[in-house]
Amino acid sequence: MQPTRSRWRRFRESFFLHDFLHDRLALTSFIVLVILLVLGLGAPFFAPSNPYDPSTYDLLNAEQPPAFMENGQAQFPLGTDAQGRDMYSTMLYGMRVSLIIGFGAVLMQAFIGIVVGLISGYFGGRLDSALMRLADVQLSFSTYMVAIFISAIFQAAFGVAMYEKIAIPLLILVIGFAEWPQYARTVRASVLAEKKKEYVEAARVIGLSKRRIMFRHILPNTLSPVFVISTIQVANAIMSEAALSFVGLGMPVTMPSLGSLINVGFEYIFSGSWWITLFPGIVLVVLVLVINLLGDWLRDYLNPKLYKG
Amino acid sequence: MKRLLLVLALAFSLLMAGCGGEEKKAEETKAPEQAAEKAPEAQPKTLRLAMAADPVSLDPLVQLSGGMLQYSHMVFDPLVRWAQDGSIVPRLAYKWEQIDDNTMRFFLLEGVKFHSGNEFTAKDVVWTLARLKKSQDFKGLFEPFEKAVAVDDYTVDLVTKEPYGLLLSMATYIFPMDSEFYSGTDEKGLPKDAIVKTDYSFANINESGTGPFTVVHREQGVKTEFARFADYWDENTGNVDEIVLTPIPNDASRVAALLSGDVDFVMPVPPQDLERVESNDNLQLVIMGGSRVITLQMNGERNPALADPKVRQAIVYAVNNQGIVDTIMKGFATVASQQAPEGFAGYVADLKPRFDLEKAQQLMAESSYPDGFACTMIAPNNRYVKDEKIAEAVVSMLSKIGIKVTLKTMPKAQYWDEFDAQVADLQMIGWHPDTEDSANYTEFLLMCRNAETGYGQYNSGSYCNPDVDALILASQTETDLAKRSEMLQEVERILYDDAAFVPLHWENLSWASKKGMNTADVVNVQNFPYFGDLVIE
Repeated sequence: MQPTRSRWRRFRESFFLHDFLHDRLALTSFIVLVILLVLGLGAPFFAPSNPYDPSTYDLLNAEQPPAFMENGQAQFPLGTDAQGRDMYSTMLYGMRVSLIIGFGAVLMQAFIGIVVGLISGYFGGRLDSALMRLADVQLSFSTYMVAIFISAIFQAAFGVAMYEKIAIPLLILVIGFAEWPQYARTVRASVLAEKKKEYVEAARVIGLSKRRIMFRHILPNTLSPVFVISTIQVANAIMSEAALSFVGLGMPVTMPSLGSLINVGFEYIFSGSWWITLFPGIVLVVLVLVINLLGDWLRDYLNPKLYKG
Repeated sequence: MKRLLLVLALAFSLLMAGCGGEEKKAEETKAPEQAAEKAPEAQPKTLRLAMAADPVSLDPLVQLSGGMLQYSHMVFDPLVRWAQDGSIVPRLAYKWEQIDDNTMRFFLLEGVKFHSGNEFTAKDVVWTLARLKKSQDFKGLFEPFEKAVAVDDYTVDLVTKEPYGLLLSMATYIFPMDSEFYSGTDEKGLPKDAIVKTDYSFANINESGTGPFTVVHREQGVKTEFARFADYWDENTGNVDEIVLTPIPNDASRVAALLSGDVDFVMPVPPQDLERVESNDNLQLVIMGGSRVITLQMNGERNPALADPKVRQAIVYAVNNQGIVDTIMKGFATVASQQAPEGFAGYVADLKPRFDLEKAQQLMAESSYPDGFACTMIAPNNRYVKDEKIAEAVVSMLSKIGIKVTLKTMPKAQYWDEFDAQVADLQMIGWHPDTEDSANYTEFLLMCRNAETGYGQYNSGSYCNPDVDALILASQTETDLAKRSEMLQEVERILYDDAAFVPLHWENLSWASKKGMNTADVVNVQNFPYFGDLVIE
């Protein structure tokens, strides 16, 4: 018997990596996603100016066209928005906010949803009914109602002054809390299908604990739909954030996210300033697209019926 | 691969979702097109008019709103009315004189007929004032009035409870109604003069005024047709025989209807479409400085830094309101340095806009907060033209003098509650005075807050200067207009020197019509176009 291979070596020789490296679409998506993540999360290092500091821009520079156009200035490679902010910097900062909110909210949704779904599906009975009715009640409230409710509490507690600081955690909380039932229901359905199978029976016969069976045996087999939902939910969360910003419950207007940039820029598209909405629009579409493609690949990989051998 | 296509399609639909609204707008404009084609353009001069909304009723006393007053000027005539230059000109009253402190005598035109054929006399004025004082919406405005007394058939005295300087301005709101026509009960046994907001009433569906037009046909929310009143008393008027009023609430559709020739006259024109209208050879655009002032109120009680006069001055000097008008409002506003625009009693010509960044920085350095401070601000995002963008620009401007502003914007439905609760240090408010008078701004926006009298009801900055209050109260009973004007100008000067508020701009009013009409002559800053005087070539 060979000495135990290191984790790195095991990873390098795994089918996971092999399949990934040989799927060009997945590889390209992954590279694009990494670039976007690095640019977004490292916005302060890559952006020429800080658009969230209101003293760095001037209204008199508003709606300048991109540098490659006739009246463009080299200072603003992708033009400026209606307040005179450099579009390139604003997009990077905006993407950072959108990414943090998108992934943060989905992590929270997934966490609540998976735990509730597993418990509900595995234990069944009254606990199941109670949890699922709770999910129904939660679903019947729209995201906006939850948002208004939670932000009213936050505002009473912190006042308008803290608003800029609490906006991101608040949005993660609101979007995360409003949409967990999506996960809970999907996971519960998969658990119901899995728990009758022989391997679960076997695990139970050996005398494994319920927790171990739930999380180590059933959960991995219910993950493929979870991944699919997640890719959609990340995009959804970014969109919800843009909508909430408009109602005055999202990011402050002085800290535009990718979504609110597109939203605001749309008003200017007919008056000729198309760049305010088009560039962030392209970035958002690409971001959502690569996340979706990666999700697709992962689901195919995890689905044993599509095992390509 | 199929999945990739699906995802691509999904991604694109995300982008396109926003465009959906626009396509719908284009569809909507098709409706008026069909309607307009039916109207024969042969002999009678027809004006096809599109407004954002149509009159809610035929009874002018049901609602106090711009739309209802515009309707009143078409179907009724006031005793006196505003001219374009802000003076008051005769209508049904050809002259007037002050008899004593509390009484103004109006001499009425003879031979004026109502649409019903009844003769117009002094008793109709008496009856109308009594009805105004019963109307939910108007009784507040007419509170200073005691009664109207008919001296003879063509002379009437308006008596106020105390000397009242605005009597003549208020007379522009008295549109005599046909007392005989509206008296008694209708076939349902209900009184004809009942003022009913939403349900049936005789007055809601019948009219008899002395105005240039009669209502021929009305389908609420769809179309209202007016025809010229054959026996109209004023020979010296326009030549429009028919008006077809179509309400088009959507801004883009309204402009599209004008551009495609489906309508002849639209109001208001949204700022983003001004250029399109102006550059069209067949159309004319009339823009007038309106009287709605947009301001920011600074609350020195909430934030002690804002109580420092130097800081208040610095803020006013730091806000580049000219820049806001040029870039955000696209020139569609007039830069303000005081509350009342030109033509108002309190307007002081030598109060100039104050943007000067160096001076602002210097003032900050001299103040007790040389290193700046943090404060909060709220603004609505769907109430005034570009309100959210204006607030955002102010945040950036104030950051240049070291003031860090945390801004929160919200829809108007939530905004007014927050505004009243004074949740932030800087709050945005726009104001249009119902009385078209300077004092009205100060009464609501800057007099000391007093829950009992209602003064300072929208003074969210809690600015309070006893001198200002005294001057405004004195101006209310001052009947000598020159003296009154001096008092109000004094008020504006004090407010200017105290930096009582941050003046931004006055929103403009706009009307667009086809060429070949004297549009510019019939409109005014009150936004009551006198369609009776419109001449179509």
